[in-house]
Amino acid sequence: MSLENKLLIDVGSTYFKISTETSIEQHFRDFNKDILDDLMHHCAETIGKYDKQNVHICSSANGGLNTLIIGITNSYSLKYATNIAFNSGINIIDTILYQDIEDYSVPSELVDVVIIVGGIDSCAGIFNDSLYSYLAKLDYSNIVFVGSSQDAPMIEQNIENVDILPNIIDNKLHIVEESLKEYLTNLYQQDIEGKEDIKSLYAITDNQIYPTPYIVNSALPLIDARYSIVNPFILLDIGGATTDIHYSKDLVEENIVTENEYDRLVFKKLGVYKSKQSLIFAAKNNEFVYELLMHLKVTENIFNEQGAKATKILMQLAIFLVLCKLSHYRKAYVNLKFQTINSFVLTGGITKVLSTEEIEDIVAFFYKKILTSEHRPKVVLDANYDIWTLGVKGDESCL
Amino acid sequence: MKVVTGVVGNDIHVVANRLIDLSLRARGFEVFNLGVNTYLEEFFDAAVETGAEVLLISSLNGEAEGWGREVKALKAKYKHLDNLIMMIGGNLVVGSGNAEDIVPRYKNYGFDLVCHQVDLNTGLDTLEAFIQERNKQ
Repeated sequence: MSLENKLLIDVGSTYFKISTETSIEQHFRDFNKDILDDLMHHCAETIGKYDKQNVHICSSANGGLNTLIIGITNSYSLKYATNIAFNSGINIIDTILYQDIEDYSVPSELVDVVIIVGGIDSCAGIFNDSLYSYLAKLDYSNIVFVGSSQDAPMIEQNIENVDILPNIIDNKLHIVEESLKEYLTNLYQQDIEGKEDIKSLYAITDNQIYPTPYIVNSALPLIDARYSIVNPFILLDIGGATTDIHYSKDLVEENIVTENEYDRLVFKKLGVYKSKQSLIFAAKNNEFVYELLMHLKVTENIFNEQGAKATKILMQLAIFLVLCKLSHYRKAYVNLKFQTINSFVLTGGITKVLSTEEIEDIVAFFYKKILTSEHRPKVVLDANYDIWTLGVKGDESCL
Repeated sequence: MKVVTGVVGNDIHVVANRLIDLSLRARGFEVFNLGVNTYLEEFFDAAVETGAEVLLISSLNGEAEGWGREVKALKAKYKHLDNLIMMIGGNLVVGSGNAEDIVPRYKNYGFDLVCHQVDLNTGLDTLEAFIQERNKQ
């Protein structure tokens, strides 16, 4: 798909990027301005050169859907629903283990979508009044049931406006993604379109505005055509508010069967701008961080500093913390097979701050200290946002 | 009757696992086989998701000893598994050991039925007899 005469715009939580056929520029967002005003302030001349039908926009700004998943086990229902939600572009996910629902506090803010899940189809009577009492106190916009089909009529009877979809757990305890994924992707899409800030961007484009993670995910099968990457690889998108990890399914030890070749995981509290404080908090709770700071020849006072050097250190810490979270050192949602990773691809704002050597240094530190390994995957920087443009190209429906 | 089965811990004895699966099916059980290398939490979670009445854990390389100690504490975290029949079988220690020592130890870990180096059919006969007995009560 040709990008000739196309203008691509990515609106992030911290930066926006615009790409023409000859150049890519990025600008720090001014949060006192509406996104469109801010964009026009920096790029009016460029944007003015393109017809509305040739402008394509994706956005990860303004959060995304706030999702609450109520499931009956961590290993199956909650894990599967979380996996599907991440792969539908959703960033913000909280979970409730149903048996303990009475111990959870009710979120005070509006939840965009509640997902109820649990049990294979031959199981019945899983949910009872404790679910309905909790939901009665909860403020939500959408609610969907993707659990046992035998429980669906009861759920429909007790929960107003609930959408009933096929069970996401089959009778072999495998994941079934399609229906929930489509449902969430549509909601995400409507959410983006409905946000006033994003809505105003339709003044400069005639095309659908897509979620950025969807675009990046579309790029993954095409990446090795652009870079000299050795599979399997992981892609880290470290931004201002969140860190996204896209990884090949071959790297996951646990066997979640899905249609996609790649999977996505989001750390919503690891970012170097909007989520800076939670990143520092996570760093202080990691016993290896002080050793890493020493290795980088700084002290923890760097956390109180501003400026280029502090940002650089925070980004290096973000890489280390994310890798720790995906390793056996911290048992998390998934543990990747780090010994078999051949390439690390980094995209997002981080590529403008750190050099390949600086990232290799952190990766080497991680492999040595956490995995006690001499393995050194190749580090590839997507410094020119090629992956993002590749994603737009890769998904023909975007153009 | 629904049975969740699998091989616990870092144990890849897939042939034994397959034989257990086939034998259970032949006896009319509905089997949810989690396969090899299964963590304890996954066994309990599978029992919750499937509504299984029996959890049959197998182990051949002696890993069960370490995992067995965790059973009571982990199961206590689940609010609806009190009636789950807990069975373990295979080679339950590293090296050799007496059933007289091993069986009480595993019962103390929280298993209702313990089959150390017992052949499969005898083990499953024991399970069926246990179920019959429980149904009478």
